[in-house]
Amino acid sequence: MRISPVRSLPPFAAQAAAAPAATSTPTTPTVEERGQAFRPVQGGDMQSGEMLLVEAYAAIWLIAFALILLSWRRQQKLDGRLQALEAALERARRAKGSGDG
Amino acid sequence: MGRGSAGFLALLGAAALALLGTLHFVAYVVPTEASMGIVQKIFYFHVPSAYAMYLGATACFIGSAGYLVRGTLRWDALARAGAEVAVAMGLMVLISGPLWAAKAWGVYWTWDPRLTTSMLSVLVYVAYVVLRAFAGDGEAERKFAAALGVLGAANLPIIHYSVQKWGGNHPKVITSGGGGLQHPDMKLGLVLGFLSFTLLAALLIWQRMRLAMTSSRLGELTEEALELGIDED
Repeated sequence: MRISPVRSLPPFAAQAAAAPAATSTPTTPTVEERGQAFRPVQGGDMQSGEMLLVEAYAAIWLIAFALILLSWRRQQKLDGRLQALEAALERARRAKGSGDG
Repeated sequence: MGRGSAGFLALLGAAALALLGTLHFVAYVVPTEASMGIVQKIFYFHVPSAYAMYLGATACFIGSAGYLVRGTLRWDALARAGAEVAVAMGLMVLISGPLWAAKAWGVYWTWDPRLTTSMLSVLVYVAYVVLRAFAGDGEAERKFAAALGVLGAANLPIIHYSVQKWGGNHPKVITSGGGGLQHPDMKLGLVLGFLSFTLLAALLIWQRMRLAMTSSRLGELTEEALELGIDED
């Protein structure tokens, strides 16, 4: 007796193989073919539009907020140094003025 | 809190609200485009970021020309801030555009006239920023940078008209030759994008200009301190 290759497969695989067999076309691979060769699809979707959209928005927000945050932090640092330097210069000028007088 | 800081915080709040509002509107109200699908929604931030790059570049041009004529630090600070904003916005354009192209064209990049001229402009402003960061802050360096800021602006109209003059793959949706945005919410989404990026560009130019002026003032005071024999530390 000839045994069909599908019958020798586990139940879930047999179901998967049997379903497309009903409407099989020359391009539909069998279970064995799927396990032995990977075929490319011409013109298939390579990228998810949703993922590209999220990546683009994430990049835009990251650049904008990184620039704002870094500028803010640098401004705080420079303001601190400027105040300290102005105070030191004021003290030095006063000391020089009293020394001259 | 000074008037400047209050104004800055008000602008920061307005820009944040406008950006969030635009994001919400584009995500939930603007319809999905028929042939490209959801990836087309990159357009509502990509085009305004290109426009904001023009704003930054224009600020750089005005500041550079002003510095060459008047020679004051305020004009130089405007030029520097404008160039930095042009680089930031240009990077947004050069990242978001290829992500859209990956879906629409099947490739991230092609040497299309508009893409090429846009990249050239971003590189000009990158050169300006690198020059200012590493070439010192003397008058000669500032004048050289100002000349670059004036000459760099010459590429802006070329970017704008390249698509009409030389064709290429880049869409022409909002130019006179294009089919336009065929739904009122699509148009409103783009208008909101322009509004929020105008506020963002203004905020960034103000912030970077203030930073450049503080930095210049610090340099002047450091020189004065050295003359008086004060050790800053």
